[in-house]
Amino acid sequence: MSEGAARVWPEGDGTHIDVRGLPAPQPLVQILQLVRSAGAGAAVVVHHDRDPQLLYPELAQIGWGAERIAGEPGEWRLRLAPLA
Amino acid sequence: MAAATGAAGVSEPPAPRGSGVAKEATARRAVRPAQGGSFALGAKGRLLPASVPMRYFGAAAVFHALAWLALLGGAADWVQWRGGLGWPLAALHLVTLGTLLSSAIGASLQLLPVATRQPVRSQRLAGVLWWLYVPGVAALALGMGLAQPHLLGAGAAAVVAALAAWGVLLAFNLRGARGMPGVVLHGWGALAALMLLAASALALVALWLGRPLLDRDMARALHLVAGVFGTMGLLAFGLAYILLPMFALAGVPDERRQLASGGAALAAIVLAAAAAFGVAPVALRLAAVAAGALGLGLHLYLMHGVLKTGMRSDFGRALVLMRVGWAGLGVALALALALVLGAPEDPWARLFGVAAVAGWLLSFLFGVLQRILPFLASMHAAQGQKRPPTPSALTPERPLAVHFLSHLAALALLAVATAAQSTPLTQIAALVGSIGAVAWVVFFAGLMRRLRGAAVPEAAAR
Repeated sequence: MSEGAARVWPEGDGTHIDVRGLPAPQPLVQILQLVRSAGAGAAVVVHHDRDPQLLYPELAQIGWGAERIAGEPGEWRLRLAPLA
Repeated sequence: MAAATGAAGVSEPPAPRGSGVAKEATARRAVRPAQGGSFALGAKGRLLPASVPMRYFGAAAVFHALAWLALLGGAADWVQWRGGLGWPLAALHLVTLGTLLSSAIGASLQLLPVATRQPVRSQRLAGVLWWLYVPGVAALALGMGLAQPHLLGAGAAAVVAALAAWGVLLAFNLRGARGMPGVVLHGWGALAALMLLAASALALVALWLGRPLLDRDMARALHLVAGVFGTMGLLAFGLAYILLPMFALAGVPDERRQLASGGAALAAIVLAAAAAFGVAPVALRLAAVAAGALGLGLHLYLMHGVLKTGMRSDFGRALVLMRVGWAGLGVALALALALVLGAPEDPWARLFGVAAVAGWLLSFLFGVLQRILPFLASMHAAQGQKRPPTPSALTPERPLAVHFLSHLAALALLAVATAAQSTPLTQIAALVGSIGAVAWVVFFAGLMRRLRGAAVPEAAAR
């Protein structure tokens, strides 16, 4: 497999993943891999360089939702968490 | 934490009044369309409104049904058919142009901009093209079925013009692509083949109009190679490197191996096209089959790796159909080898066509579409909703199950009917295929109905 790896690190508000600069479909795949490995009640914070439109149906399918949160200039930052 | 619902199934962030983020969010809401969405930071939208790609998928569904009906009407001609005007030729083009290429246009307009991070150069042109392409295909097929060369010629002119415009849109997209050299190579190969396809099509139309530009066998051979293996085959291979990792949640296959597979496939197409000119045709065709087998082997090795390493290794009927498609290509290459080595055209050439067009391309296409269409519908329905409908909630399952069984049964029946040169068996195959095609239309109509029901009106999405 030839993809670059996303940077993943833990913080107080959840596990962060930075997929900026990765070619499609790697951002989608690596975010979903992280989400699927996250425990119940976990949150994932995504650092992206664009609105990941293709992500939302996949999240909906597994009962997760996304909300956009403030990020750096040029960044599309999302907080992902299981829907109540 | 969330302040307002965004337009893509996400909640907008809180931001202090007058801050840069607030201005950016306000600007984004102001320019964002209700359907299709847009991308961050004022970038041009890379997702088309749902109506643009879906109209191509809808046309593909209807043409698919018409193709089986045309075969039903021309079953008696099919068992002796050698490529002349009539309903078998109409059925073939309703599949290739009407179903396969129409779907390829829809998929490329929707997915390539996302993958290549390039917006479609003209959304209006992408939508308007449908009005040229679809009537063109209908006129062309009718002209073939009724053996009316002038009607055929008018349809072909419209189709070639529409494909030329689509080719320009595709070229702009590929030219600006970042990364993905394997996918881009397949895309450029498909575009080059599209030009050869159009040129050979015009030569064949000229022949039917009594103004020969090329030898008939040469034009037919070029047309077959450029259409089935060049344009559609390379698109199927290239898009698989984006779609299969998405479906399986796996890493992208090694780029060098993608390039090797694509290079072998391209070499096979070039060799087969060169053979059409009559210089050492047997040697060139043998080399083409060998290169094609190498390309397929590498491609399957990469697909196997994706499925083996992915978090989702089984995606049901869709994967079965894709596997049937890959097997169909293997059978087509074996039949091509038999034909090069001297097997009689009756019935082996028709069996080769069944394996390549229905076995490979059609099966693979329906495998991909039944996975991707609910996904795209959910994505479009998500606009303006915090909790978008799931793809499975939008999917009418029963018609898909009927289509799956009917498609496989029709495929097997058509292969047997072709080998046995049996008109009644061909009619049964076409009837079963028609049932599957109607089921697909019902699936697509149900999906669109659920999408409309789930979508938020434009005003509410803002």
